[in-house]
Amino acid sequence: MNDAPNPPKWANRLLEWFCSHEVIETVQGDLFELYEKREKAKGRVIANIRFVRDVLSIYRPFALKRSRYNSNNYAMFKNYYRVAIRNMIRHKMYTAIKIGGFALGIAACILISMFLYDELNYDRTYADSDRIYRIINQWNEKGDENKWPAMTAPFAGVVRNEVPEVEIVGRIIPYNWYLGGSNLFRNAETTQNTFEERFVYADQEFIDILGLPFIAGDPETALSEPNTLVISKRKADKHFPGINPIGKTIILNDKNDDPRKISGVIETLPSTSHLDFDFILPLEGVEFWRGEQTSWCCSNYETYVKLRPDADHESVLKKLIAIRDKYYVTYLRNRGNQVADDVVLYRGFELQPVRDIHLHSSDISDRYTHGDIKIIWMFGAVAILILLLACINFINLSTAKSANRAKEVGLRKVVGSARGNLIMQFLTESVLLSLISFTLGILIAWLSLPYFNELANKSLTFPFGTLWFIPSLMGSVLLVGFLAGLYPSFFLSSFRPIEVLKGKLSMGSKSSGLQSSMVIFQFTASVVLIIGAVVVNRQMGFILNKKMGFDKDQVAIIQGTNTMEEQIYTFKNELKNLPEVQNATITHYYPISDTKRDQNSIWIEGRRKIDISIGAQFWRVDHDYIETMGMKIVQGRNFSRDMASDSIAIIINQTMADQLGFEDPLGKRITNGVVRNIIGVVEDFHFESVTDAISPLVLVLGRRRYMIAVKIKPEDIRGTMAAITDVWDRFMPNQPIRYEFMDQRFAEMYDDVKRTGIVFTSFAILAIVIACLGLFALSAFMVEQKRKEIGIRKVLGATLVNLFHSLTSNFMKLITISLIIAFPLGWYAMKRWLENYEYGIEITWEILAISGFTILIISIATISYEIVRAVRTNPAETLHSE
Amino acid sequence: MKLGAFEELVLLTVGALKDDAYGVTIKEMLEKHTGKRPSIGALHSALYRLEEKGYVTSSEGGATRERGGRRKKFYQLTGSGQKMLVEANELRMRFAKQIPGLNLSTE
Repeated sequence: MNDAPNPPKWANRLLEWFCSHEVIETVQGDLFELYEKREKAKGRVIANIRFVRDVLSIYRPFALKRSRYNSNNYAMFKNYYRVAIRNMIRHKMYTAIKIGGFALGIAACILISMFLYDELNYDRTYADSDRIYRIINQWNEKGDENKWPAMTAPFAGVVRNEVPEVEIVGRIIPYNWYLGGSNLFRNAETTQNTFEERFVYADQEFIDILGLPFIAGDPETALSEPNTLVISKRKADKHFPGINPIGKTIILNDKNDDPRKISGVIETLPSTSHLDFDFILPLEGVEFWRGEQTSWCCSNYETYVKLRPDADHESVLKKLIAIRDKYYVTYLRNRGNQVADDVVLYRGFELQPVRDIHLHSSDISDRYTHGDIKIIWMFGAVAILILLLACINFINLSTAKSANRAKEVGLRKVVGSARGNLIMQFLTESVLLSLISFTLGILIAWLSLPYFNELANKSLTFPFGTLWFIPSLMGSVLLVGFLAGLYPSFFLSSFRPIEVLKGKLSMGSKSSGLQSSMVIFQFTASVVLIIGAVVVNRQMGFILNKKMGFDKDQVAIIQGTNTMEEQIYTFKNELKNLPEVQNATITHYYPISDTKRDQNSIWIEGRRKIDISIGAQFWRVDHDYIETMGMKIVQGRNFSRDMASDSIAIIINQTMADQLGFEDPLGKRITNGVVRNIIGVVEDFHFESVTDAISPLVLVLGRRRYMIAVKIKPEDIRGTMAAITDVWDRFMPNQPIRYEFMDQRFAEMYDDVKRTGIVFTSFAILAIVIACLGLFALSAFMVEQKRKEIGIRKVLGATLVNLFHSLTSNFMKLITISLIIAFPLGWYAMKRWLENYEYGIEITWEILAISGFTILIISIATISYEIVRAVRTNPAETLHSE
Repeated sequence: MKLGAFEELVLLTVGALKDDAYGVTIKEMLEKHTGKRPSIGALHSALYRLEEKGYVTSSEGGATRERGGRRKKFYQLTGSGQKMLVEANELRMRFAKQIPGLNLSTE
């Protein structure tokens, strides 16, 4: 250690690496001398640090190596480029497969990335969106967790006064509630009604929190007056083209005594907002029933807050709990409600960031259609998988065709190419291919975007205008080209010149181990995707054809009938008199989405202060409901017009009967405040998504005039609907009839499932296409290599079957291995997926067999094409040159 | 040709060190007289430029143990280097003389 200075080796090496030959001797000598002196004077550590600093200080132009190839670089790249193009042209089929597969993969990747980008950017545009939260209720009872966003009416006001961390708090009612949801809309100056949807109620503060952009009207006071209305730009353009709508009077549902003045026009909400309204009604001056605004009874208001920048979440949540005890629990205790103790134990709150609402609400029961972070992960994985498959094709083909390039590599080495140059050459080639593939891929993606939008229910556009789009594409071109070219370039540049020039290198056999494992990987991925596609499609069919407990076919639901008022009963009777109509019923409660729901607490009579209530849907229907809906009474009887006492009768579903626990529920009495007599039990029917278990439900007689459901005969549906429309027009000349068929609406409810199925199938097909392209090229290559062997074998008497068998057996082995790996993998993955469904299908052997069989057939067909052609060639043709 | 401020200092040091001007000694002398610590890279860069401009010449000298067997590169002031220093000094004096009350003494 004493003879020579011993500075950090790596720094010294760094110096030797960048420092030019001419300079290094003196500079290094100086550095060593300084190091030695410093080591003696100040110790090793300081000397080391200074040494590194000095080395870095030398990194200046005077000291740097001059590139020896400086003048040559450009010419070499030109040569690489020319050779690459010549190679591509010479092997047209392989080039087409390489580029085509790559382009397909890239197109899929681009589309999926755009989809993911859109999904991940919901609710980012509001000012200070990082401080905006939706308050969520939690009920956490022994691991049984429920979350929902509705708060009581006075809650927001109390939060405003008692939580200083809250800057603004505002409420919104996004439900079909009173005027929320859909209404008949007309300008007071006209008589023609238009049906409009997407009405909500909201506070002025709600607008303040989100800072919704106004086009006209005063954003600060638009909702602070009663009887106003804020509309979106889209609707303003529809109803008031070229006119300023501010101050116009609107009549909703023909109620002339309740006019509204348009006080503001907001920018139409972007598709990347979880909110989805076109009309905002003010909550100012609204009281839905007497004392409603001050009562802690009922939760109907989603409450949003903007916190101060320095707010501490924990302390906000603590204050919310304090509010719960001070107001809500007190309210319950005063009414002797047993739930009070449970509320103290189990009820909590959560602040959900507004940006999370779209993707992270799967455990929260609200009425929005949400994205799902699980789908995001799944899609992301599929995108990467497909790109990987395309890259593998590229790698496999490049290494398989290596024999063709081996002589070139040998010769280049002989005339002085270093390995680095060759690696550079092949990387240049693959980046060039990647560039061509990207161009083609973008074109494919651009052409298929409309279809993809339809498939994914999105309105995506190419963000050509944004700053990051082109650079990130260019970055991807380089990255993908580099990654795909990495292995082939190292492999190809490793050939020893003497061996290849002597012709010793056996053709393309060197990497067959790696090639095989890549083929196995490709086919495993494909089989898993096929299994996924089959299971998803089966599950979808299962849901759509499941016995629902009601008959959804040939039922038309006429909407907006509330404006008929008392006439509706005459209307219903006239409909029932039509020969084509089997039955009709008036109510607002149907077992399809977007109709009314009403959750009530129900006790067995006399046990209200003792038992915990049963939460049940409480539906008000008429005498014809059960018959029209095709539901089945399993015990007791239906409502009867002859029994006046049926006004306090109640029919329960089987789940309700189970929860009540009566041996024989008939004649027993239950209450939600009014005591009712159980007269019948209706068979369970699905009224929420089939993915959920059926919950308790009760039916009572009541008048809800919002919709009429008409059961019609299956013959001549069009003629029947025309007849019904005629009757309608007699009753309601100013309001066009609006109806939909229950089975269609039902299918819409399961759109998501259907969509997942189609998307999955498309990607599975794409993956198989890419994998088969690769397999096809590999088999073609093999045939090319063995052309003479086949000829000789034929001459010696091999039959076509023999030959075919010997040529395909290797590929068949690989595919069999893929199947063995893919079956348990696919089975497990799909089992996990099916766990999301309360009623899922079983994954049977048959499903696996179908998937495996499909892959086998497709792959045999793929490799057979070239093989059969080669086997049928006359041996004289292949051997005549020998 | 022009001479940067730092280059001028380095040139002066080379002249002052006579036969013993190489990287380490120049650096140490600069540190001693200016109180600043030029980085070794900056110093060599300046020397390289001075040599290109013809103000110094270099010759290779002996290797020592503490230099890990590397030879020193000694620098000498050339005629044009000397002339450059004189010119730079004269320029400075001319300006200085025009500043009233500035008392300059050489030696």
